[in-house]
Amino acid sequence: MSAVIEAKSLSKWYGNVLGLNDVSLEIESGITGLLGPNGAGKSTFMKLITGQMKPNIGSVAINGERVWNHFRLFARLGFCPEPDAFYEDISGWEFLTGLLRLQGFGRAEAAERAAMALTIVELTGDKDRKIRGYSRGMRQRVKFAQAIAHDPEVIILDEPFSGLDPLGKRRLIRLIKDYEGAGKTILVSSHVLPEIEAVTSRIVMIHQGKILAQGDIHMVRDLIESHPHMISVRSPQARALAAALVDDASVLKMTFGADGRSLVVETPNRDGVFGRLQSVIVAKGLEVEEITSPDDNLQAVFDYLVGK
Amino acid sequence: METKGRTPAVSLAASVREVFGFFFFLGRRTGKTRVFVLLGGIPVVIAVLVRILAAGRADDLAAVFSEILMVFFVTFYIVILSLFYGTSIVAEELEGRTLPYLTSRPLSKAGIFLGKYAAYTSLMFLMVTASLALSYFIMNGHRLADAGLYLTFLKYAAVLGLGLLAYTAFFAFLGTFLKRAILLGLMFGFGWENVIQYFPGSTQKFSLVHYLKSLLPRQPAAGGKFSLLLFRLEPTGPVAAVVSLALIAVVFVALGCWVFRTKEYLFEE
Repeated sequence: MSAVIEAKSLSKWYGNVLGLNDVSLEIESGITGLLGPNGAGKSTFMKLITGQMKPNIGSVAINGERVWNHFRLFARLGFCPEPDAFYEDISGWEFLTGLLRLQGFGRAEAAERAAMALTIVELTGDKDRKIRGYSRGMRQRVKFAQAIAHDPEVIILDEPFSGLDPLGKRRLIRLIKDYEGAGKTILVSSHVLPEIEAVTSRIVMIHQGKILAQGDIHMVRDLIESHPHMISVRSPQARALAAALVDDASVLKMTFGADGRSLVVETPNRDGVFGRLQSVIVAKGLEVEEITSPDDNLQAVFDYLVGK
Repeated sequence: METKGRTPAVSLAASVREVFGFFFFLGRRTGKTRVFVLLGGIPVVIAVLVRILAAGRADDLAAVFSEILMVFFVTFYIVILSLFYGTSIVAEELEGRTLPYLTSRPLSKAGIFLGKYAAYTSLMFLMVTASLALSYFIMNGHRLADAGLYLTFLKYAAVLGLGLLAYTAFFAFLGTFLKRAILLGLMFGFGWENVIQYFPGSTQKFSLVHYLKSLLPRQPAAGGKFSLLLFRLEPTGPVAAVVSLALIAVVFVALGCWVFRTKEYLFEE
């Protein structure tokens, strides 16, 4: 399959700060997840491929056509930017029809497409309300609607799940997945692994402006599994808990907090130790205030990948 | 998902037309427009007051109106309007972070700039003309049957329109590359433009207001209770003044388009 989006040796810096560092990447049709912690360079990459910024070094092309100042190409592109920013004094309907007119559609077709997009994002009932009065979820949905209303071939979604409640996320995930079957090329960015995992199995991992890895999401899952996890327990009987766990072969290391009430357990088998913890707590009748997994996130995987 | 075919290509003319339509509509909805419409009520109130106070002295009214036009419309209203709308052409998209909605469309950047410039200039022209018409016809209500009255009104409106085109072009250009364009614009519009008028000779020609005043009817420099409001104007000929203002507008719009097209705008995080 040939690449729809192609970045070659792409670098971008803001003054002395490196935003993107020698990124070469090919993105094929279907859904690709761009995964990385905050400040990793996801938005920079998306701004470069949507022509919002010009690369300092390298090039980026969509279907073989360079992007910067190539505005005709944008007829085939839908972009959902990250900021929660709108023309606040107009309604969702006016926002969509206005942008569709800018896309080059006549009045009737703009209205027809806006109606369809609002139906897709389930905002028809609120279309005449001012955007200023929309909830965060509605704002995200109308932002998504403007990216799909003109039926683009390539859809770029920068942190589309940001600020959404679980129901809103699920709804948007379903919407994005609906487009996979329509032969579109969709690039979705997020710093939350389960969000990306819910929409696609094809991911690109970016960190500190560099592509760390790309491929199937199972690879990331395997990395997470192979990476030692921390489990933090707060209990007035932290030492008794540690004594009960010390003979468990999957426990690599245990450390106590200065207050004597917290215990951090390091293990490659998080689920196993969680199970053991529960049994010990019940069997010994220990009092536990909190159990958390402080490194159960992407940052830990990225730190692991870059060898921190 | 339903597919409805390829998006039509958008030419420069179509870009300008569509951007104009969108921002002319959007511009009418803003709080800024409401404030400036209210500001345009000031000469109307003055006209009503003068009409009441100067009842029976119709000959003075034309002179008084010229002063209002000079002081309020030329040196204040069109300058402040152009400053706020002109600099906002780019700045409001950056501050509101809405620029990607425009620059990810199949619109040339020159088309976006020109379309917004045209939309805002038209909007301002409507505001100015409405205020001008009300104040002018209230003051001259006793001679509405005089055809010359309407010709003079059209001339005033045309001069103010030309002023809007030139000032807005200049301020829009500043807004394409300066973060605090409004500050520099204030200094230019209410500092330089006023101070330079007191200078004799050709120095006055380094201001826009000089060309606007050159196109307006002039009252005698001495005599009359409003003579204090007049500066020492050494006018440019009407054709040269119109050409100068038109040239200023064209040059700064072209420069604004060029900067907007080539400059990369980054949002502050």
